[in-house]
Amino acid sequence: MAVLTAPERKSPARLPTSGKRARGPRRTPPLVLAFVLIPLLAEALWVFWPALQGFYLALTRWDGVSAPQFVGLDNFREMAHDDVFRSAAGHTVLWLVVFGGLSALLGLAAALLLQQERRGVGFYRAALFLPVVFSLVATALVWQAIYQPDGVLNQLLESVGLGSLRHAWLADQDTALYAVIVPALWRQIGYVMVLYLAGLKGIDPALYEAAKVDGASAWQRFRHVTLPQLRSVNAVVVSVIIIDSLRSFDVVWSLTRGGPYHSSELLSTYMYSTAFQSLRLGYGSALAVVIFVLAFGVICSYLVRAFREAD
Amino acid sequence: MANFQTGRRRFLAGLGAAGTTALLGGCVTSTSSGKSSSKGPVTLQSNLSAPQAKAAMEDLVAAYGKKGSGKAGLNTVAAETFRTQLPTYLTSANPPDVYTWYPGSVANAYAKKNLLLDLDEVWSSSPDLKRYTKALNSLCTASSGKKVFVPNTYYWWGMFYRKSHFAKWGVSEPKSWDDFLDLCDKLKSKGVAPIGLGAGGNTPWVASAWFDYLDIRINGAQYHRELLAGKHRFDDPEVRKVFDRWQEVLPYFDPNGVAIPFQDATTALLNGHTGMMLIGTFFADAAPKSALDDIDFFRFPVIDSKVPLAEEAPVDGYFASVRTGRRDQVFDLLRYLATAEAQEIYIKGSSGTVLPCNPDAKDAGTALVKKGRKHVDAAAEITQFFNRDSSDALQPTADTALTKFLAKPKSIGGILTDWQRDAEKIWNA
Amino acid sequence: MSANSTALRRKRAATAGFHLGAGALAVLWLLPIALVLVTSLRSFDDIAAHGLGSWPQSFTLGNFHQAWVDGGQQRALINSLLVTVPCVLVTLALAAMAAFGLSRYELPFRRSLLLLMLGGNLLPPQILLIPVSKLSELIGVFDTLPALIGVQIGFGVGFYVFVLHGFMRSIPVEIQQAAVVDGAGPWQIFWRIILPLTRPALAALSALSFTWIFNDLLWAITVLRSDTKMPITAALIGLQGQYVSMWNVIAAGSVIAAAPTVAVFLRFQRHFVAGLNLGAVK
Repeated sequence: MAVLTAPERKSPARLPTSGKRARGPRRTPPLVLAFVLIPLLAEALWVFWPALQGFYLALTRWDGVSAPQFVGLDNFREMAHDDVFRSAAGHTVLWLVVFGGLSALLGLAAALLLQQERRGVGFYRAALFLPVVFSLVATALVWQAIYQPDGVLNQLLESVGLGSLRHAWLADQDTALYAVIVPALWRQIGYVMVLYLAGLKGIDPALYEAAKVDGASAWQRFRHVTLPQLRSVNAVVVSVIIIDSLRSFDVVWSLTRGGPYHSSELLSTYMYSTAFQSLRLGYGSALAVVIFVLAFGVICSYLVRAFREAD
Repeated sequence: MANFQTGRRRFLAGLGAAGTTALLGGCVTSTSSGKSSSKGPVTLQSNLSAPQAKAAMEDLVAAYGKKGSGKAGLNTVAAETFRTQLPTYLTSANPPDVYTWYPGSVANAYAKKNLLLDLDEVWSSSPDLKRYTKALNSLCTASSGKKVFVPNTYYWWGMFYRKSHFAKWGVSEPKSWDDFLDLCDKLKSKGVAPIGLGAGGNTPWVASAWFDYLDIRINGAQYHRELLAGKHRFDDPEVRKVFDRWQEVLPYFDPNGVAIPFQDATTALLNGHTGMMLIGTFFADAAPKSALDDIDFFRFPVIDSKVPLAEEAPVDGYFASVRTGRRDQVFDLLRYLATAEAQEIYIKGSSGTVLPCNPDAKDAGTALVKKGRKHVDAAAEITQFFNRDSSDALQPTADTALTKFLAKPKSIGGILTDWQRDAEKIWNA
Repeated sequence: MSANSTALRRKRAATAGFHLGAGALAVLWLLPIALVLVTSLRSFDDIAAHGLGSWPQSFTLGNFHQAWVDGGQQRALINSLLVTVPCVLVTLALAAMAAFGLSRYELPFRRSLLLLMLGGNLLPPQILLIPVSKLSELIGVFDTLPALIGVQIGFGVGFYVFVLHGFMRSIPVEIQQAAVVDGAGPWQIFWRIILPLTRPALAALSALSFTWIFNDLLWAITVLRSDTKMPITAALIGLQGQYVSMWNVIAAGSVIAAAPTVAVFLRFQRHFVAGLNLGAVK
């Protein structure tokens, strides 16, 4: 791949004696170029090169041990006729909207609730962040115990008289996907909250003061001060949420493996099971390419709009 | 403003990418031709990660080191990690020397790709291996005719139940299929779910035991092996007969059977919520120690007495990488692992519900194990289990099909068509 | 005055309401974790006899000892820290540098470069597993901790560049111009002005990246093979057997594994607090 090269030397602090410029430097200092290129190189080595190989695998049929067979676009043709792919894609879109939307809304709400420094707020923030920290093995263990037919949730429903709502939450075709969204949200909201907290901290309190002086209510302050100020942070957080939703794998896989019979299958779990259980790495790579294109398309369109607005 | 010039840049990038990928593609899929070094201890990569099994393997490796003829280094990784990484281990530039795994179809698949070390010399030079049964001999032979495997222990599958509970309910072991149905009726009348199953959570493969057993009882072990190898179809009438017979006992299954993993199903069995369960002896590891003496089992009832008696008795053991640089040390280690002494050390350290492959080695000596030995010896044919007789890649197709059948038995026609289609993708890969 | 006392009462009610609401939320959130804690204090026979969701009928602290010693968590914890701390430092340093360059200077193709770096994170990591393991073999670092560090840095930097870019963009240009007028070079602008202004973001990302790298499993499994080099997440799943798992020991192990990340979070979240005053110049 084409990689721009630049001499790597740290330029000492120069006095711009020759030609003071009105705006920022027009010729970028070599230091800044180095600043950008070193991380780019690191990523190129560990991500881009393997990614290109992954894209190449999408054009082959490979089982991991024997020599691969080049099959061109056959994998993609198979995908077009694959029922499981279609339902997984549908589930992924649903996941993006429900999981993504709820984590943004609830994360922002939590950040707004816990943004002010008071006694005990550290404890509440830590409580919400704790699920993010806890290992996946323990999380899966506990949520399976909660969702089992004789588990905590069903017992709770019985004790409050809603026994008719009892389900085998993770084993029932109709409830599996929604049941998995709950632990996924439980793990995600603390993390979104942290991002929004950092963003809220960047808002100048003087703006709030000015709004209060003008007689604005809490809701009006939120709509006319907080939201506009959060716009650049929002671009980041929403992109993060989109990426996470499309890459969501851990929680779903450890709770249901995409089952029962593909009813909670997402594109990411389908890709993993195809590549590492059915050992069809070519088809799995093709699915990964689809996930990538989908994510890239969504992010790009969102960011292009966000960049255009900001400028 | 569009600072992008996306159109032209993307086109050029695309060209460059296409050229580079063609070059790079070779890198990721090539099997290295390097050998592992010839110095240092023999590396033994093990998937026996349960604390007890791991301790037993450590004892084994320590005993080998004390013998003085060589040293071995044990590396234990989680079972699921081992399964996904095994192809990577075998194809890497510096592969581990010896691996724990299963014989039969799965080892043969790797042998066909020239990844396994030829162990004929071990089999011919070891006094122990010469006395192993014919069944084990053929199991450890690849389709090329060469031996590629050294067996360690085996266990068996059966209908397990709690003796005290059966006594309380006034029932006893059935002798035939009709007896079995009567037993289920009696248990149901007592308010107990007769047949337990733990095919939920992360253990859907437990349901395959039912498929296996019904198939080998109705169609015979030979047909079953051929079916799994792709020589028959899942939508054949013989397979349909298996499911018709299964429908007879379906009403007696625990309704929560597909919602709980087998460890919780074990709890249900021991608590008396269910009557019996078709499971392997490993389930005793999930039982509290106080219940171990109370556990007993009976043979899956015979349906057609004309079909040669077959039982499922999966074998565990070791194979070696063909690119090991420590060939002689590997042979020495494998010869030791085949001895009675080694297998006894392993059995003593682990939970004691497995049987040694060495005919002279002593097992744990409990009544259960003695009954198990007789149970397996009485069989004319031995099968391994669905995934071991076919491949790990075929197992998920069975999981999907069988969980769907257990929930919607009426759609069996469509289920079998889908299963055949999924299986073909694996067989033709 | 009555007006003051009503205001005071309203404030107290608001505080009480806040604590009630936030407290209820926190309790609800912590319930599953409480279940893990309870499980970690039960004996295996108790769980086997009564199931995971039942009331505990035993109490033992032995699981922690077993996870620490038999499960090899002592060594695994050290491995995790050896990997995580350098990773977090290097990744955030590199990301801050790149974000600085891309957001404060008019580099050509800067938006495309940003998207390119972010694009690296849009790939499902599972599909990179085999190419990365082959690559690490090629370089000769397979089964070493530096390989894991390298992968984590390479895979994480794109995302952090993107996030920091978002935060750095909102810093007004006037501050930078003033510094240039005062004779500061790019390094000084970076070190003295921009970096301190992005401290909340850096603190947040440090806590998050520590959590992710510490809790990572997939990359560890991919580039490491020896059990002595495995970090704590891999050691934890190593407690799961082929068929049967000792849930009580695993729960205890999870509690041990969570401790460092919780400590880091509690330490760093004070820095989200140490806000910034956009009006200040240097």
